Amino acid sequence: MTLLELENVSVHYGRIQAIHDMSFTVDEGEIVSLIGANGAGKTTTMKTISGLLNPTHGTIKFMGEDITKMKAHIRVVQGISQAPEGRGIFPAMTVLENLDMGTFGRKDRSKVGEDLERVFTLFPRLKEREKQFGGTMSGGEQQMLAIGRALMSHPKLLLLDEPSMGLAPQFIRQIFKIITEINSQGTTVLLVEQNANQALARAHRGFVLETGEITHSGTGKELLANPAIKEAYLGVG
Amino acid sequence: MSMVDGPKPFSTAKSEQKTANMESAGVPPGSSGAVPRPNRKFGSWSDRWREMPRQKQWLILIPVVILAFLLPVINPPLISTEPGNDWPLACQAMAIFALVAVGLNIVIGYAGLLDLGYIAFFAVGSYTAAMLTSPDSAFIKIPYLWTIPVAIAVSMFVGVLLGLPTLRLRGDYLAIVTLGFGEIVRILATLIPAMKGQPGFQNVGHPPGIGADGIPIFANSNGTPWYWLTLVILIIVLFLVGNLERSRVGRAWIAIREDEDAAETMGVPTFKYKVWAFALGAGVGGLAGSLMGGQVGFVNNQKFDVVTSILFVAAVVLGGSGNKVGAILGGALVAYIPLRFTAIAEYKFLIFGLALVVIMIYRSQGLLPARQRLLAYGTAAYAAVRRRGSANPSAAGGSGTGGGAHTSSSTPAHRAEGEQA
Repeated sequence: MTLLELENVSVHYGRIQAIHDMSFTVDEGEIVSLIGANGAGKTTTMKTISGLLNPTHGTIKFMGEDITKMKAHIRVVQGISQAPEGRGIFPAMTVLENLDMGTFGRKDRSKVGEDLERVFTLFPRLKEREKQFGGTMSGGEQQMLAIGRALMSHPKLLLLDEPSMGLAPQFIRQIFKIITEINSQGTTVLLVEQNANQALARAHRGFVLETGEITHSGTGKELLANPAIKEAYLGVG
Repeated sequence: MSMVDGPKPFSTAKSEQKTANMESAGVPPGSSGAVPRPNRKFGSWSDRWREMPRQKQWLILIPVVILAFLLPVINPPLISTEPGNDWPLACQAMAIFALVAVGLNIVIGYAGLLDLGYIAFFAVGSYTAAMLTSPDSAFIKIPYLWTIPVAIAVSMFVGVLLGLPTLRLRGDYLAIVTLGFGEIVRILATLIPAMKGQPGFQNVGHPPGIGADGIPIFANSNGTPWYWLTLVILIIVLFLVGNLERSRVGRAWIAIREDEDAAETMGVPTFKYKVWAFALGAGVGGLAGSLMGGQVGFVNNQKFDVVTSILFVAAVVLGGSGNKVGAILGGALVAYIPLRFTAIAEYKFLIFGLALVVIMIYRSQGLLPARQRLLAYGTAAYAAVRRRGSANPSAAGGSGTGGGAHTSSSTPAHRAEGEQA
């Protein structure tokens, strides 16, 4: 079943067009990776889906419903949750308070406990540090917190904007393992990455973004095998 | 702590070491001691205060409040502003400034909206009180005490009116627009005939009551009853603001202050909460304005300049943006210094400027830093933690016990952590 559908979406920053007529779908249960270089429009795409940016053309549908005009804070309640680029955690709040903010829009308060357990099981480190301030944690821990916080709204679709950014190679593998784990628990994941290798290896499907347009698409394995992509994004060739 | 590399905001070598020590010592559950923060004298006071049991807090609070009420009567030597300025009136000025700072602290300290034109709401409050009580005004007259709620309502309305278009702006842009708004009210007072420009309104009303000597209790020159009235109102406002701060609204404000986009993606209707912060701040500003108007007894367009508005901001920043007790301290200090040191009063901006620079160097968070713990107990995640804690006491999580409670879990994260350790 199609969970998210973008149809001819264009996004402008003032007069500069960042996204050109982009169309793609994300099916329920998938991991979909958007890969691309700096300035390809990855973060813009994510912000448009989460509602922080408004498209100038096109429609966005979520579970068959048109959400193009829907405000970001309502999309969270509908089931789209984003872990923003650069982590965007609240530095003056403790880990637990950060996680608690993730539940802000929830109506089913009684089920928060389950999601907290889930997050603490995925990231035991967060449990150890539940009283520590977000701003005093290391980069990797902040990334865990950002993902954990996004999961606290019990999303149907989890948007991850560059989860590997600024992390050590060893930790990148770990984060991707966790993403696969989250997905296997039933959460659909859309992630954008510069680290194409890991992102495509873990994804069911992938898209390559170049200057605001999708240039390649296919399953993760197909894209990994594609010579053009190998040369441009994987440093092999 | 440094499991991976990456930016580590706020952490200094010292604080990290402190965390490490705390961890190895095994901090007991329920204490917030594991939290590293700039450890200076006043800061640790406010932390110690937060960790005190309720009864002990009351034990300290009640004498402090009694002392505050007795302040104009005691007239302590050295501290007193006399003979230069009447001491009870000085107390009243300090209380008004404290009230203003508490209101502005909602806007700047909690929601992180830099409002440089807060004086406008103060002016709206003053004018509301004046125009509804002064014989110089053509409006209907109502008893003075009724003008207080009216002033709150009118300034909140003006706050919403200003907030709706401007709160779409962020940071610097908002500051500039509010700065302009601060001037607009003063200029309107000059231009609109009903607001009477410089001649202004005389004999603004005051609360009823006549003393034994036939002079009204709330005479303009009688600071003590005005101070008591303002202090009672200040305490009520503090109580309300404190509850807001701990509520869902307060958490939304802090989240907006910390990262507006992230707050929005957490499901916080950021615009709505920003307008709320603006309106509530405006309400308190208007309240302070109406008290000021009544006490001085005279309202005209000369009192509401932008310089005073900047002084309000200075009071909040000086006291510690985001800390309501700090705001009281900052507000009172900003009012007190020029009254106490009359000889140097004309250099007050130089002095405040220097004081701000010094404070920003040595105490970048203000005299009393913002509450770091949000006291978010009772909210969903905390409730979940407590439930978990009562079901399984060994897992009742302090940072010291967290790791051991998860021996059975074998998630990828856990395994990888083991490898790295």
